[in-house]
Amino acid sequence: MKRRDFIRKSVAASIASGTLFSMGRWDPLLASGNISAKAIDMVAVKNGEPAAMFDAGIAALGGLKSFIKPNQTVVVKPNIGWDAPPERAANTNPELVGRIVKLCLEAGAKKVMVFDNTCDEWTACYKNSGIEKAVKANGGQIVSGKVAGNYHPVEIPNGKILKKASVHELILESDVFINVPVLKNHGGATMSLAMKNLMGIVWDRGYYHANNLHQCIADFVTYRKPDLNIVDGYRVMKRNGPRGVSVDDVATMKYQLISKDIVAIDTAATKIFGIDTERVQHIGMAEEMGMGTTNLDSLNIKRITL
Amino acid sequence: MNNQHWLRPVRIIIALIFLAGFFLLFSDVKGNLPWLTFEVLTSFQFVPSLLKFLFLPGVLTAGFILIILLTIFSGRIYCSAFCPLGILQDAIAFLQRRLPFKTKRRKFRKALNYIRYPVLGLSVISLFFTGILAINWLDPYANFGRIASNLYQPVYIATRNLLANILMTFDVYSIQPFVQKVFYPLPFFIALSVFLLIVSMVLYRDRLFCNTICPVGAILGLLSKISFLKISIAKTSCTQCGNCQVACKANCINIKQMSVDESRCVSCFNCINVCEDSSIGLRKAWMQPAIEQPSHDKTKRDFLKAGLLFAGAYPLLATAEEGEEDHPRFCHRGPISPPGSQSIEHLKEKCVGCQLCISVCPTKVLQPSFLEYGFTGMMLPRMANDIGFCNYDCVKCSEVCPTGAIIPLTQEEKKTTQIGKVFFNKNLCIVETDGTACGSCSEHCPTQAVYMVPYHDNLTIPETNPDICVGCGACEYACPVENPHVAIYVVPNKVHQLAQKPLTEKVETVETEEFPF
Repeated sequence: MKRRDFIRKSVAASIASGTLFSMGRWDPLLASGNISAKAIDMVAVKNGEPAAMFDAGIAALGGLKSFIKPNQTVVVKPNIGWDAPPERAANTNPELVGRIVKLCLEAGAKKVMVFDNTCDEWTACYKNSGIEKAVKANGGQIVSGKVAGNYHPVEIPNGKILKKASVHELILESDVFINVPVLKNHGGATMSLAMKNLMGIVWDRGYYHANNLHQCIADFVTYRKPDLNIVDGYRVMKRNGPRGVSVDDVATMKYQLISKDIVAIDTAATKIFGIDTERVQHIGMAEEMGMGTTNLDSLNIKRITL
Repeated sequence: MNNQHWLRPVRIIIALIFLAGFFLLFSDVKGNLPWLTFEVLTSFQFVPSLLKFLFLPGVLTAGFILIILLTIFSGRIYCSAFCPLGILQDAIAFLQRRLPFKTKRRKFRKALNYIRYPVLGLSVISLFFTGILAINWLDPYANFGRIASNLYQPVYIATRNLLANILMTFDVYSIQPFVQKVFYPLPFFIALSVFLLIVSMVLYRDRLFCNTICPVGAILGLLSKISFLKISIAKTSCTQCGNCQVACKANCINIKQMSVDESRCVSCFNCINVCEDSSIGLRKAWMQPAIEQPSHDKTKRDFLKAGLLFAGAYPLLATAEEGEEDHPRFCHRGPISPPGSQSIEHLKEKCVGCQLCISVCPTKVLQPSFLEYGFTGMMLPRMANDIGFCNYDCVKCSEVCPTGAIIPLTQEEKKTTQIGKVFFNKNLCIVETDGTACGSCSEHCPTQAVYMVPYHDNLTIPETNPDICVGCGACEYACPVENPHVAIYVVPNKVHQLAQKPLTEKVETVETEEFPF
């Protein structure tokens, strides 16, 4: 009887410990002793559907639990700037946004809010981008980015030109900020990537345009770096950006990038797009200000092909 | 006449449905209500339907014929059941009676025909001189629209926003606040004055407006004289208690003579339900006991006199329109009329200024005019590119317009409707003056009629292709230049043109085996 009890208990214990380990949060603790496994700086995924690429990519980074503690509030900022369907790739892919919301909640987030300060009329953008539906279906909340009273003035002490801005309260109050830009061409800023996407959390974008657009984009990063950036390169608007004229402007490239380093992720995105990183001036400016690196060779990049 | 007691409650139910419906239309701030809702409610409005029918004859625009037939059958049903301004007046009177003010006891009053028919005549005659200007100012539906758009909608938005803000303090974002209506003092005060005037007329003598000023009331009143069914009093059974006279909001029952002035009766049927001896009710006209008709000679004389007087005065009021201007200067460029309005001329000929389009415009680019279109074009929709820009895919205003001033457009038709052309002033552009990147205009351009071309130092600067421009105003709205004015703007097409479709080729998708980094 004793022997049987022993076997029974040891089996139960091993199952329990296995479950704990497989939950992921323990991996970094156990791996910390292992010097050879250098932390991953960026994950690049290709050839999959948006949600599947995110599943694979975020798993390589130890899951969203490495970024979200239980009961934290999360704000997800996709690009929902335009009244255009997903095929036009003017906005972030709705399937990706939906999956991020879902995994955030699974990781223990108390609530997940999604908003953008849109360019076109916001209800049309939210609806026709498919993002409102995807967010609601996955348990997230959609919030208007067009309420002036929700933006509060902040100081940006390290900004060269942009010294203050009005930032949406969800960014100021949420515990975790996830930035989900879509990779696309941009007539004014050359490219619209992770840093450019942060223009959708401030109220007065006109100031940027009137006062050295690239420097202002870089300046804002010194105020708040997102806790995680996910660049959607599934469908890529190759020209006529950021709004695009028709689906003819769009190439299906099936890429996705995930990183905490906003400069590195934008650098990698320019390479996927096929444009010299130097031409997107705010990337170099942000590197100079110490916001990250454009030297991808210095980083540990995990490349996954599905 | 006991069997006619159902008429009043039915009238009240229909009236409440219409009034609630119209308030619903003017609460549709983002233009989300289906097209049919607008079509059903507005197609029973006499003047809008008539105007639309003249331009777009069809079953759906023949609502006014129905009203005429209904009037010939049974009097001015329109005035109490369908007309939002009439119902609103009843609602005001309803409140008045429940407030602790002394209200005057109603009694029979003589018709103010020396005002009523001249006003009608004037509006008809003026059609030849100033278009629908007079109709625009007098039509009950248009006046209701202006009151709803300028007075009711801001209150609705404010209430909704208050609720949303209270919820937001508890971190509940389920109701999203709307941007408050832009306040233009003059259109607002015009609407407010009309509203106050109507309120005071109601407080003074209930449906006074409908029987002295309203041209629709006057036309339907004339038709009521030949109605098949008319309200009349059975002289044999009437005890002349006077209940009907007190209940009559048109002051048209003369209990001494036991007669009813059917031209002023608005078919509210209040009299039927208060009659103690069931003597008053709808009867076939030829069964009426003979009543001495007052001589119409005086009316005719009034009519002719007033007509001649105003015919002489009207051309003086019609101011000369501004001349054609080719030079596209920002401040002198003139108003831009919404897509579907075909031309400024067409808009001014057809629009009664009900502002339904302005109320439902999702981007709020439509705002009321004051003198932009000239004296004869006040309170009409104009494109205010400083407030917003026209959404490329949106055709809401053309769907809701009850008069055909903005004709229905499909999305495809709209995308080639050019209401104006882009004009770019390079000397004012940020890229030129400051040497920094911008591209805000091109960013917002739906057709890339504004596109960025390489400039010095890795910069790009706008270039324009007016042939594919639709004149939506997005570039103008987005331009950050303020002094002296925006660097890019729309120059109106007084007569709308056809825009060419933007030509594009499919970009190639290059398959790569390896990651490019």
